Amino acid sequence: MPDHVVRKGLDIPIAGGASGPPAVLEAPATVAYSPVEFKGIVPRLSVREGDTVKRGTPLFHAKAHHGMQFLSPVEGTVKEIRRGHRRVITDLVIERTGDGVHTYPPIDPASADADTIRAALLERGQWAAFRTRPLDNIPRFDAVPQAILVCATESGPLMPGADVLLDPADKEFLQAGLAALAKLAPQVHLAVPKGTTHPALQGLSGVQVHGFSGPHPSGDPSLQVNLVCPPKAGGQVWYCRAWDVAEMGRVLKTGEFPGQRVYAAVGVGCAQPRFVKTTMGAPLAHVVGAHGEGPMRWIRGSVLTGEAVGAERWMSHFARAVHVLPDEVESELLGWALPMFGTWSFHKTFLKAFTGAGAKVDMRPGIFGGERAIVPIGVYGKVVATPDVLPEFLFKSIVANDLEEAIQLGLLDITAEEAALCTYICPSKVEFDVLLKKGLELYEKEAS
Amino acid sequence: MKKFIESQFDAQRHLFEEGGKLHWAWPLFEGQETFFLTPRHKTKHGAHVRDRMDMKRLMIFVLYALAPAILMGWYNIGYQGYLAEGVASPGVVDCMLRGGIAMIPVIITSYTAGGIAELIFCIVRKHEINEGFLVTAMLYPLTLPPTIPLWMAAIGIIFGVVIGKEVFGGVGMNILNPALTARAFVFFTYPAVISGASIWDLGGKGLLSSGPVADGYTGATPLLAASSGALVDGTASQNATEILHSYGFEWSNMALGLIPGSMGEVSAIGAALGAVFLIATGIASWRIMFSAVAGLMATSAIFNALVIYGLVGPDHGSMMTLPPHYHLVMGGFMFGAVFMATDPCSSAVTDIGRLIYGFLIGVLCALVRVVNPAYPEGMMLAILFMNVFAPLIDYFIVKQTTRRRAARMATA
Repeated sequence: MPDHVVRKGLDIPIAGGASGPPAVLEAPATVAYSPVEFKGIVPRLSVREGDTVKRGTPLFHAKAHHGMQFLSPVEGTVKEIRRGHRRVITDLVIERTGDGVHTYPPIDPASADADTIRAALLERGQWAAFRTRPLDNIPRFDAVPQAILVCATESGPLMPGADVLLDPADKEFLQAGLAALAKLAPQVHLAVPKGTTHPALQGLSGVQVHGFSGPHPSGDPSLQVNLVCPPKAGGQVWYCRAWDVAEMGRVLKTGEFPGQRVYAAVGVGCAQPRFVKTTMGAPLAHVVGAHGEGPMRWIRGSVLTGEAVGAERWMSHFARAVHVLPDEVESELLGWALPMFGTWSFHKTFLKAFTGAGAKVDMRPGIFGGERAIVPIGVYGKVVATPDVLPEFLFKSIVANDLEEAIQLGLLDITAEEAALCTYICPSKVEFDVLLKKGLELYEKEAS
Repeated sequence: MKKFIESQFDAQRHLFEEGGKLHWAWPLFEGQETFFLTPRHKTKHGAHVRDRMDMKRLMIFVLYALAPAILMGWYNIGYQGYLAEGVASPGVVDCMLRGGIAMIPVIITSYTAGGIAELIFCIVRKHEINEGFLVTAMLYPLTLPPTIPLWMAAIGIIFGVVIGKEVFGGVGMNILNPALTARAFVFFTYPAVISGASIWDLGGKGLLSSGPVADGYTGATPLLAASSGALVDGTASQNATEILHSYGFEWSNMALGLIPGSMGEVSAIGAALGAVFLIATGIASWRIMFSAVAGLMATSAIFNALVIYGLVGPDHGSMMTLPPHYHLVMGGFMFGAVFMATDPCSSAVTDIGRLIYGFLIGVLCALVRVVNPAYPEGMMLAILFMNVFAPLIDYFIVKQTTRRRAARMATA
């Protein structure tokens, strides 16, 4: 097992982590999908308001390819189709009525051919688990990857990893899923935490296993692709999560869409941060349970790259955590000039940067400074683990709209997590993750 | 206390906000508010949480790092004044008082004149006050003689702020170090006031003067003395250390900073303490400081070797014989290497680029000191020259990095 020790990066010591085994919750009254979350997919609805669906019934499909379907996680009726700006579908709300299942014929991934597996994964709502490098898009239905990296690690702040999300009993399905992926790509890599003892990650066949250790973003699959199997000569590499691969294996082998998820409710805004097992797309409040008083920011995903949404909404299709962050910022008197002994920082101008190892910090969504031009004191390179990327120069080229230069400097290599870490540590308060999105949008516009 | 200040600002805010009567002065309001209170703005885009570090803290920590150099310089101004007047062992309080009377007005002038220029630009260009100014306006007076007329100091800092920084778009966009730009302006515009013997001390001048300058006192700086080629009594000499000793300059008092020189740059130890602080807090690049020292010492060692092995003629000049560790503690080298060369905006950005940039500053400084007959000190020119070349150094490092990336991506 080749080991990758990531030395650059940062584990943000934010407080509010969950612990213990997942609590099994009763099924919620409503669940929802956000088709707008499926970047690059233009949805075409297969149902109308008032239709009844079963668990596994397609709700919508991709406009570009009708075979790419997305399935209902429960039996129920389509209660409401919420639309946002320019009539994009923000939430497809289903009221649960029972537990009836729409099943598909079982397929044995070991003996099925590649076309069967591809069609089945598309049809059974599994395709969106894949992402491409570069660009982190959902791959086209007919795209062929140079390799697939299956990620069983997680290093994002308070994000749940394999120990919570991957059921040891699912090893059989994980193996079946990996066998299916082996039909789609010439190489399949599996990234695991270095020295893992997780029972489901032992003795898997047909994959090259890589151990990862180090601070965030060591557990981010985009970075792992950069280190293990970077896309060559204009091609693409796919990545997905091991727990999603286990679901693929289950859906192929049993023909049944489980519609269940383990989620983490984290952050100091939760009365009791916890892991829960419940229906996919459950309401945020259902997953979080009791929460603190005062204004709260509900973030689907991590505090670095997650999306803030209204408290009345539902869990993300992709993110396995909701972070509840108290949405208030206090000012401090002369905070810039004082030692601030109690404050943790990445920067060594705070004593706690030296002594605060292992501390958990109650953070607030403040900017804590005025926005300035980039003053390159050499900090950004300390959190960018992708090799041969010079963040200062890359981001300046994006600011200058110099696409060609930006590509040469690694626009397509640097990961979203790395850019968000740069934003986090920036003393000039420049939003590098927003800049990266801008650069990639420009690239996609020019490329199409 | 905090609540009271918060309420004061909140009560006035509407006047300065968009549509308010005094909206044109928003940078002034914003600057004052964020001086007292850390901003309460919340994140809207990007990462939801942010580090507590900001530009204000970065800059104030540079000022903290300057404290030893300032204190040593402050004391030394008074000390040199009394020394020139023949007072054998002046008291610490007397020295500090006399030094303060000379130094503080220049610093106040620098902050006031530069601050007004900065504020006008902020209001006209509608951006927030750049706290980099706090550092610029402190570094600049420290490179001046204590006897400089205040109007001259004011013109210099205004030039530095406007031409050195604001015309490029403010901190982060500037090509040259603004403090050194200001100093270079004064240096070339009023050469008589900023170079030459006996301008660096207050002997016989100013308040608290104990009398006229004593007989035989020269007021020469160590660099001027070492390059003069003659002992203090006029005997010709090609041995720099001999000359320095004849003037009473020992390595130890030069390192401490008890010598005539600019207000804040005399003490190599003071600057070195600042360097330790800046490196420990991760604000300034150790690469630049280290390689500048290496460049200076290597080049001066080569000059020494030329003399030792007889590769230069007998009238090679006394500076050729000055040992590397003397170079290190003389003139503004340490101060420049620690506080000026490391200015992140005007230095190279890549790690390897910073090593090259710093090394060449050291080399150039030694070259100007030893080979150039016009200027005894070369640190200011070396840094400004390398400021101009820093983007070129980075260009090559960036090209090399992108080539390496391309090669890695091409092989399967």
